[in-house]
Amino acid sequence: MRPPLLRSPDGIIAGVCAGLAAHLGVKRSWVRIGMGVLTLASGAGVLLYAWLWIFVPTAADRAAESGRQTGPAAFMHGVGVGAGVGAAGAVPAGAGSRATGQTARILGDPSSAPAAGAFDAEGWRERTLRAGRREVLFGTALLLAAAVLVLQLLGVQVDWGFFVPIAVVATGAALAWSQLDEVRRARVMNRAGAERAGGTLRLLAGIVLVVTGVLVALSSSGSWTLTMATLVAVLAVLAGVGLVLAPWGLKFWRDLEAERAARVRETERAEIAAHLHDSVLQTLALIQNRADSETDVLRLARAQERELRQWLFADPTRDPGSLAERLKVAAGEVEDLYGHPVSVVAVGDAHLGSAEDALAQAAREAMLNAARHAGVAVSVYLEAGPDTVEVFVRDRGAGFDQSAVPADRAGIRESIHSRMMRHGGSSAIRSDRDGTEVRLCLPRTEANAVPTEGERQR
Amino acid sequence: MEEKTVAADGPVDGTVSVVIVDDHGIFRSGLRAALGPVIRVLGEAATVEEAEAVIGATAPDVVLLDVHLPGGLGGGGAEVIHRCTRQGTTARFLALSVSDSAEDVVAVIRAGARGYVTKTISGPEITDAVQRIASGDAVFSPRLAGFVLDAFGTASVAVDDELDRLSARELEVMRLIARGYSYKETAKELFISVKTIETHVSAVLRKLQLSSRHELTRWATERRLL
Repeated sequence: MRPPLLRSPDGIIAGVCAGLAAHLGVKRSWVRIGMGVLTLASGAGVLLYAWLWIFVPTAADRAAESGRQTGPAAFMHGVGVGAGVGAAGAVPAGAGSRATGQTARILGDPSSAPAAGAFDAEGWRERTLRAGRREVLFGTALLLAAAVLVLQLLGVQVDWGFFVPIAVVATGAALAWSQLDEVRRARVMNRAGAERAGGTLRLLAGIVLVVTGVLVALSSSGSWTLTMATLVAVLAVLAGVGLVLAPWGLKFWRDLEAERAARVRETERAEIAAHLHDSVLQTLALIQNRADSETDVLRLARAQERELRQWLFADPTRDPGSLAERLKVAAGEVEDLYGHPVSVVAVGDAHLGSAEDALAQAAREAMLNAARHAGVAVSVYLEAGPDTVEVFVRDRGAGFDQSAVPADRAGIRESIHSRMMRHGGSSAIRSDRDGTEVRLCLPRTEANAVPTEGERQR
Repeated sequence: MEEKTVAADGPVDGTVSVVIVDDHGIFRSGLRAALGPVIRVLGEAATVEEAEAVIGATAPDVVLLDVHLPGGLGGGGAEVIHRCTRQGTTARFLALSVSDSAEDVVAVIRAGARGYVTKTISGPEITDAVQRIASGDAVFSPRLAGFVLDAFGTASVAVDDELDRLSARELEVMRLIARGYSYKETAKELFISVKTIETHVSAVLRKLQLSSRHELTRWATERRLL
């Protein structure tokens, strides 16, 4: 596989010859000599050099280009919409010329590969790249034109009045047909119609070219009035045919749209049905089996509710590795263990560093204690403010006397107090007849700062 | 203050009349059974249109309103509030939902609901909430308090009547409610009366409903909190 055609940064003038040599796999000096020889042929070498200088990008340009294209590129690769479209929108410029080369070889026309390769690097790369085939067509057209010129030079009489219209018609048809690729791509990539203007323009240009070509071919007399008369006639016929075919076209279009929408709905429905079957229906069956055990039923219902909520309302803007998510997971685990609901309210969020990890573990310990000893619902509140990250774990149980906890019970002392101290935080426990509340506090550091919604608004 | 005048026209005999609006029949009957004896259920409705008709005909003190409802223009509970308000209803609305999405909550609160509780709420709690709403107060669940703190930010301002921020005291109240404290516990914690707590909560509700900061709605649509 050849390296892409790029201007080399270590060339003499603009790196054109060096880049060309790298691309063709020959020595630089040979390319330079070739350029010199071409220059002797009425300055063709200079023209070629200028052409390549303008249109061949440098490696830096190419990097920027592919950087911009990674988004849709990755997407298109994932979708895998056939080779044609793949070569079209997805492949970044570098691979573009290679893909073009391959296509050309498949067509059994290797000579067009360099032409198309050079052409792909051209200024309106943005558009041409989307349909690699178009480059091949263009290359072939150029080769044909060159062949005709050579024939004429060799003394063969060429009927220009025949060739030019044919060429114009062919170009018009190619433009119009290139729509197909465009439409397929647009259907996948964006259905908002942002590309529609370009597509319409291309279609119009194609029609104009074809009509012009046909006209020129027919009115070979060259008379202006006759041409105009033919033009009017042709347009009138076209308009008539369009008028007759319009209802069919419209109907087809509507059917297509309706069918597409139905398919999207069907896919969504199938996905939801599959999820409900895998989760909710199974849990309901389990609940029926365990109907006599209240705690089991409660636990199953809570676990299923949590899972369904996660699926329905999961916040895509939230980082799954964040402190808030971690607390929610811990709350779910405690719920599953003891069957008492543990609800988490989070305001703001923090990245999960080692200190936050310790905070989450301490909070989990507090939740476990609350569920185990208080045996009631537990409320967890996280507030990640600009200065501190605080977690409150509260229950409305009977409370306990902290001084009465035996010294050999390490739960609170080790898992909560010491753990928070080790990470520069603090903890406090307040317990009375109305319940217990554990407060865990951690100073905000650079490392765990997350630009929360609240802070952005401030 | 507005809240004090509306509190005066609350129920006289201690019982509160309600209408239950929910499209889920099992939930309606469950809720009816869970409500305490001081609550009289005047009627039920399952769609936006039914709700409008039943509320108009029975004129309840409080409407227990599901956030998601079929019918109407697809606006759900918020649409019921809009329609009834246009008809000049005196009923107050308490939003009930299984949905945790901030979008739903903020929509129904901004439409005029005076509270929001999740459907897992216990019988005594919902009875208490209904009585509170009937007497003109606002009912905030920990989750709604969390939404408020997230939406308005946790930094306070000195100016009390600014709509886009919470005062220091309001922040304290919201924080305690988010931590799972009841109004009574919050009052005890802050050494103020329950009535003052209710005033603060009503003020926050007013800010939530009237704040014109466009971020509030955008925040809610972007954010789907669990």
